[in-house]
Amino acid sequence: MSRVLGAGPIARLRHVIVAWPSILRVAFAGMVAYRAEMIIWVLSATLPLVMLSLWNAAAGGGAIDGWDQTAFTRYFAVNLVVRQLTGSWVVWELNWSIRKGDLSPKLLRPMNPLVFNLAETFAALPFRVVVLLPLVGVLAMWRPEALFLPSPAAAAGFVASSLFAFCLAWLVQALFGMIAFWTEQSMGFWSAWFAVWALFAGYFVPLALFPPSLVALAQVLPFYSTLGAPVDVLLGHAPVASTLAIQAGWLAALGLLTALVWRSGIRRYGAVGA
Amino acid sequence: MEVIAALLRVSIREAIQYRASFVAEIVVGALSAAGIAAPLFLVYARVPHVAGWTLDEALLVTGFFLLYNGFVSGLVEPNLGAIVDGVRTGALDYLLVRPVDVQWTISFRKIAPSAIWDVLAGVAVIGGALWRLGPPAPLASVVAFGMLTAGIVATYGLWLLVVCTSFWFVRVDNLRFLLGAVTDAGRWPVSVYGRGVRIALTTVIPVALVSSYPAMALLERLDGSLAFGAVATAVVSLVGSRAVLLFALRRYSSASS
Repeated sequence: MSRVLGAGPIARLRHVIVAWPSILRVAFAGMVAYRAEMIIWVLSATLPLVMLSLWNAAAGGGAIDGWDQTAFTRYFAVNLVVRQLTGSWVVWELNWSIRKGDLSPKLLRPMNPLVFNLAETFAALPFRVVVLLPLVGVLAMWRPEALFLPSPAAAAGFVASSLFAFCLAWLVQALFGMIAFWTEQSMGFWSAWFAVWALFAGYFVPLALFPPSLVALAQVLPFYSTLGAPVDVLLGHAPVASTLAIQAGWLAALGLLTALVWRSGIRRYGAVGA
Repeated sequence: MEVIAALLRVSIREAIQYRASFVAEIVVGALSAAGIAAPLFLVYARVPHVAGWTLDEALLVTGFFLLYNGFVSGLVEPNLGAIVDGVRTGALDYLLVRPVDVQWTISFRKIAPSAIWDVLAGVAVIGGALWRLGPPAPLASVVAFGMLTAGIVATYGLWLLVVCTSFWFVRVDNLRFLLGAVTDAGRWPVSVYGRGVRIALTTVIPVALVSSYPAMALLERLDGSLAFGAVATAVVSLVGSRAVLLFALRRYSSASS
């Protein structure tokens, strides 16, 4: 179904690589067609700014554990950007297409629908970042001293860590979306994950300001790897090598799990008769 | 009232049909309440005052925000969101032919039962904060309740206005997410924000009315002019949105014609 008939894994991989640029082009065109909706989606993810306001007011009387107002502005500005860089919507799409049966035609395409969605998500990234620029610009005007030039090492670590975080965030969403193969509706599970994630990913509070006993645990939990890790790598709050290693570990584990769940889920989907 | 009760019964059944997801939603309610309060505890573990509010006082604001959130996600969002879909698909026509005032049927047609956890969490947080702050004066409680009601009414009016734009521009459902995101700013005392944002949060998107004002009323810090302004905002918002709704319905020609 979702594979090129009679092709081995290597030929299939080649097939994906050959098709990739065209998928990106198509996906980007789709993004531009729905630009108004995309802009609203991006602007809806402004919770880091709400968090910044609280910490900014708290640090008004002096630095908190070495974090002054500039440090908080930097943290939440980068946080805002990484949140967009790692954004995807595959959990909504899977929920919808599994329940409504829209998945069936997608399975007939010569490419796995998940791979296709990953390409689409990737193609949306430039657009997301462009929409964010005015917001980041306002932050820079509000607090010019927060502008900074990262060292080449931190920048390189940030690129790698963001790429890992992007893949991880997408894998997690795909996994939660696939629960719908069994329960028809899995948005409740996703919201539960999101609520825990927001706390432990560094979305609300920099991990460095957690109670010391929790920091080490939070660093190895999967939540941090999908958001806080790239932010802390860029700002020098986390060691590059070990952070990337933890992310790579989660990437391998969740990648494998996603492949397994997809296989048994798709069998179950066929069994429904759709 | 009977009509409303019947509508609510149906929507509770609708919500529990996907059972596993429903159970998860209950967990979500508790978790997100914890998520909203947790940053406050982390901040106040290090500083005693933020923008003139102590931890217990700020928790009052958070509690009212949770109450308000439960109301919006339980009643306002499912109903007014359904109008947008109704306009696009034509399902709105079935509501318009019912012999009850249309604003009642479109505003109280559904309820999202999972919102009850937000409401309970809000009551618990407010109760906990008051237990430590000492009981408020009776008059202050009445004013606080009035402010909460005024804020909810104002929010309902704003949502109705946004939804009414769907009669002209069919695809506005995403605006709801934007509105939801902006109201997230109400979870902290309004004085943590800069002047520009503060003005926007009390007038344009009146979320401060719902969380900060009731808390200030309980703490007896709300002066009369602010309270009066909140009530005026609510009245203007309610009357204005009803006028816009009736106007929009008059020129609504249904999806099929």
